[in-house]
Amino acid sequence: MSLIENTKCECGHQNAVGTVLCESCGKPLEEQKDTAELPLEMRYDGVARRSQKSNPNVIDRVWNFFSSVKIAIYLIVLTFLTAMLGTIYPQENTFVGNFDPAVYYEETYGLTGKIYYMLGLTHTYESWWFIGLLVMIGTSLVICSLDRVLPLYRALSKQQIRKHLQFILRQKTVFKHTIEGDTGHWAEQFGAQLKRKGYRVHRDGTALLAEKNRFSRWGPYINHIGLILFLLAILARSIPGFQMDTYVSVPDGDTVQIPDTNYYVKSEKFTVEFYKDEELPDKLKGTARAKLYETKAVLYECVSGCGDPTAKPELREVTRHDIVVNDPLKYKGLKLYQFDFDLTPRLNAVHPVLVDKKTGNVYGPFDLPMRDSAMQHKLGPFTLDLYANYMEFAIGDNGEPTTLSRDPVAPAFIFSVKGPGLDPAGEPYMYFPMQKDKVKFAQDTINKGIADKIEIRVDGMDNVDFSEASTHLNVRMDRALPYVWVGAVFSMIGLLMGSYWQHRRIWLRIDGSELSLGAHTNKNWYGMRADVAGALKKVGIAVDPKSLDNGGNNA
Amino acid sequence: MRKSRKTVQVVILIAVLLIGGYAIGTTLFADSDKGPLREGGTPPAFELADLDGNIRQLSDYEGKPVVVNFWGTFCPPCVKEMPEFERQYQKWQDKGLVVLAINLSEDTLTVNNFVHRFELNYPILRDVNRKTERSYGLKSYPTTFFIKPDGSIAEIKVGGMTEADIDERIERLLQL
Amino acid sequence: MSLIDFSSDAFIVAFFLYCFAFMFYVIAAAGKKWSNRDPLVHEKRWGKIAFVTSSLGLAAHLTFFFTRWAGSGQIPTSNMYEFMSFLGMAIMIAFTIVYALYRKTLLGMFALPLTVIIVAYASVFPQEVQPLIPALNSIWLKVHVTTAALGEAFFAVGFAAGLMYLLRVVDFKGKTKEAKRSQFWVEFSLYSILLIVGFIVAVFAFRAAGYDAQFDQEKSVIDTKGIESTIKETVNYTLPPIVKPYNSEVVKFESFLGMDSAVMEAPYWMNGVNSGRKLNTVIWSIIAGSLLYGLLRLVFRKPLGAVIHPVMEGIDPDDLDEISYRSIAIGFPIFTLGALIFAMIWANIAWGRFWGWDPKEVWALITWLYYSAYLHFRLSRGWQGRKSSWLAVIGFVIVLFTLVGVNLVIAGLHSYSGV
Repeated sequence: MSLIENTKCECGHQNAVGTVLCESCGKPLEEQKDTAELPLEMRYDGVARRSQKSNPNVIDRVWNFFSSVKIAIYLIVLTFLTAMLGTIYPQENTFVGNFDPAVYYEETYGLTGKIYYMLGLTHTYESWWFIGLLVMIGTSLVICSLDRVLPLYRALSKQQIRKHLQFILRQKTVFKHTIEGDTGHWAEQFGAQLKRKGYRVHRDGTALLAEKNRFSRWGPYINHIGLILFLLAILARSIPGFQMDTYVSVPDGDTVQIPDTNYYVKSEKFTVEFYKDEELPDKLKGTARAKLYETKAVLYECVSGCGDPTAKPELREVTRHDIVVNDPLKYKGLKLYQFDFDLTPRLNAVHPVLVDKKTGNVYGPFDLPMRDSAMQHKLGPFTLDLYANYMEFAIGDNGEPTTLSRDPVAPAFIFSVKGPGLDPAGEPYMYFPMQKDKVKFAQDTINKGIADKIEIRVDGMDNVDFSEASTHLNVRMDRALPYVWVGAVFSMIGLLMGSYWQHRRIWLRIDGSELSLGAHTNKNWYGMRADVAGALKKVGIAVDPKSLDNGGNNA
Repeated sequence: MRKSRKTVQVVILIAVLLIGGYAIGTTLFADSDKGPLREGGTPPAFELADLDGNIRQLSDYEGKPVVVNFWGTFCPPCVKEMPEFERQYQKWQDKGLVVLAINLSEDTLTVNNFVHRFELNYPILRDVNRKTERSYGLKSYPTTFFIKPDGSIAEIKVGGMTEADIDERIERLLQL
Repeated sequence: MSLIDFSSDAFIVAFFLYCFAFMFYVIAAAGKKWSNRDPLVHEKRWGKIAFVTSSLGLAAHLTFFFTRWAGSGQIPTSNMYEFMSFLGMAIMIAFTIVYALYRKTLLGMFALPLTVIIVAYASVFPQEVQPLIPALNSIWLKVHVTTAALGEAFFAVGFAAGLMYLLRVVDFKGKTKEAKRSQFWVEFSLYSILLIVGFIVAVFAFRAAGYDAQFDQEKSVIDTKGIESTIKETVNYTLPPIVKPYNSEVVKFESFLGMDSAVMEAPYWMNGVNSGRKLNTVIWSIIAGSLLYGLLRLVFRKPLGAVIHPVMEGIDPDDLDEISYRSIAIGFPIFTLGALIFAMIWANIAWGRFWGWDPKEVWALITWLYYSAYLHFRLSRGWQGRKSSWLAVIGFVIVLFTLVGVNLVIAGLHSYSGV
């Protein structure tokens, strides 16, 4: 290729370097001998796609790299191939809570698991190279589109009606015919037929240009804009504060702070409902198939004393909602989803009474929560001083009482009791709220003499306060979401425009009585030929649509 | 025409560089502070009350070697360690050693009884609703973090230690 | 008779109508060369009969779908049986639309067997109506599944036309390296289809015979507290166990052809749910499919591709190429909408995230990226004819993997946490 190219067409139009077809008359410009007979390459209407310099600098080189569709396809292929790798083993983010990937993969999958982890495939979709690929696809989307849509727009908005004969006869759909009679009249009649088919018809004497659905040419670009918006929205999620994803576990009746927020959530009650046997098909009878999970949740905002570990935060209710699967609680972008549950009951408090065995008098009930109970309870003539408490009572190796956990599994309390008939210095009394523990640890034996004088007991289940279940909620926030949807809508509109409509054009010129007709579409040649054949038939020329095919590529 | 085109190219490429750089950068950055705490990492900040109701923050002890120990009365090795930490604290406190024992969200009476029984003098902090414990990613108890004066983690010990172990580790920490 | 029973009958009617329609399409195509008839008239006549039959089949299938919906009170797309039979129906809808556009009788000869195979595959799975678990109870899920399946159905028609193109243009007499390679891969594609048929045949044959074997498998499980314990799971086999589950004991074993113990044990790393049984099923599919293939080779005494090739003569390959491409171009936006956008909306409602890189989601994305690469190859790089047809064939393999393979292979490696 010579450095300075003559790009002036014989029709007098000055074209940009890289132009394939004259922007004005359509005459093929750069021509190799071996392709001189084939149908024309009509992509982007033959305009110069980008400035092609003989001496590109770095910016040009980068630009040209991303401007190439070939590169774009390679990027797409590379992306889906690497995405496949990420599905071989579960990704790290599928595990909730404490979990050490360095150990897990090797333990579970052996050597391959270890290699998988070492290669970083356990977080494929967050890895720098995968994100890098997405960034490159995004860049390619911007540059490819920009480099093509502007020249295409210019070319389509200043089309010449009378095209070069070579241009017409080297289209993919071509028809030649000798017209008898008035050519002007024929062209008008033919134009009228095309109009009926929805074409916009422009005439210039005996030359004609009919065009339909040009807007569909913008479909791919609108789609690309949507995809770019989508990618940007996804990137925006990594900005701190744009998204949140944590879990809270709330026992019935408890109020729990949502980590890193000023919000507290209370579960008034969690319910799980299972299908009854008569609702199930035979094979599933007797299985616990869940029908409904529901958390009656209340959301609070902390108004004062927040973040101060010594003060009790002051809460104000902001909203309440019955959370079920597929129906989260929503408040100002914050969403609480039903995630999991735990049906282990937990004892919260008991309201026991003190019985004076001598007189038969009953005092109380008094409030005895499992955690942070009041230190002293006055009951009639008796005073109970809380001396020690244990969440899961046990006797340690050294013979001393101890606790095995911090959850009220087998709670025990030691009071120092003063009152009538008791040592004025106080006598120790051991109290197990749960019946099973009373028996297991032989409460009466431990308490010895005092067991004959007083008894602390709970009267009926009304005086027992326990949580039947805990609900696990997933807390999410995603401020990028609206942009994601806008991107998706754009992308979809673009796809529909580009796929279900086709830009069709028909050029014809009559030289003497020789009719030359060429037609082009960006998709669906079958329909293009049917349009031409149909219009010809209406003006009295019967042709087999297939015979209009001039060979070449089927876009 | 030519000129404006060039500007557009440069602007777009710069935008790509910035946005793409940010995107890739965050993934690289996220890699290092995700997952469990490691030696050399930075311990999460906390703000907790001690038994007298004073608020103590980890940042109050910047520039000093700090031992952060998570313990509970329900965990026998923790119980065994507590008086040992007391002795070590007495031994090294002149050298600036700080011991912070964070209780694993137990109730007040339990903690008070325990502390009185063993006569502990170093600060006992009260975690609330397992918040601090979670931010440190604790899996089993006791877990002890040895934090260098520069604020980075020198060592993490999961499980109980003998008194000699503690002594040796503190010595190492003080030499750093 | 309840609505559900009625709908099951409609399903069977649809299945047989599809089978008949397939035969009529074969007659329409192959019968052209029969003596004493005008090929054009013959094709037109039988093509019409075949199309009417297949449309009746579709009508019966739609009846099945809507009566089952009415009878169970939930849209029948919630388990594998319902979903696969819906996919079969969607392929018929896609075929009917493409047929309306191009009126190529022969397309039916390939779209129909595809539907028949998929519908038969559906019947392998348990057919009871299963009440919905809470996570699946969402309008968006219904919209998502049906739209995605319709998009995939167009890809399936694109696959059928692509395979037809290859059968039409590959030179089955050629001895060049290029020709040999094409012959091999066309044959391989047909063989793969026969493997699926083999699977269906094996399952139904042993089901009809009432075959049943049972194993107790011991599995070690590490719970959240880090304590290891062993649990016992009973694994039921309906195909004679060539492979038994790893670390398992026989409970019940019916002797089959003198085989009265498993030949081997599944390797230890196959620790997913029922992985031993799945491996056994795969082996049986290969055996049955290979037997079927061998039988067909014995009957015809030449490669299957070469058997079908002459039937395709007289069809314009360019038309096939165009049909394949058009179906994919029509299906692509539908797939995007159903498998990605609606899926994201649903995921956002159900789990609060529109995208979670779950294997199923990733494979939907892979399918989408694959077909967008296909469209770019075709539109911007001018890949047409053979290249394009191969891409359409491979694309459908990816679609099938996304639909079935992910559930069988990947999801089997780990069960999803949560509700």
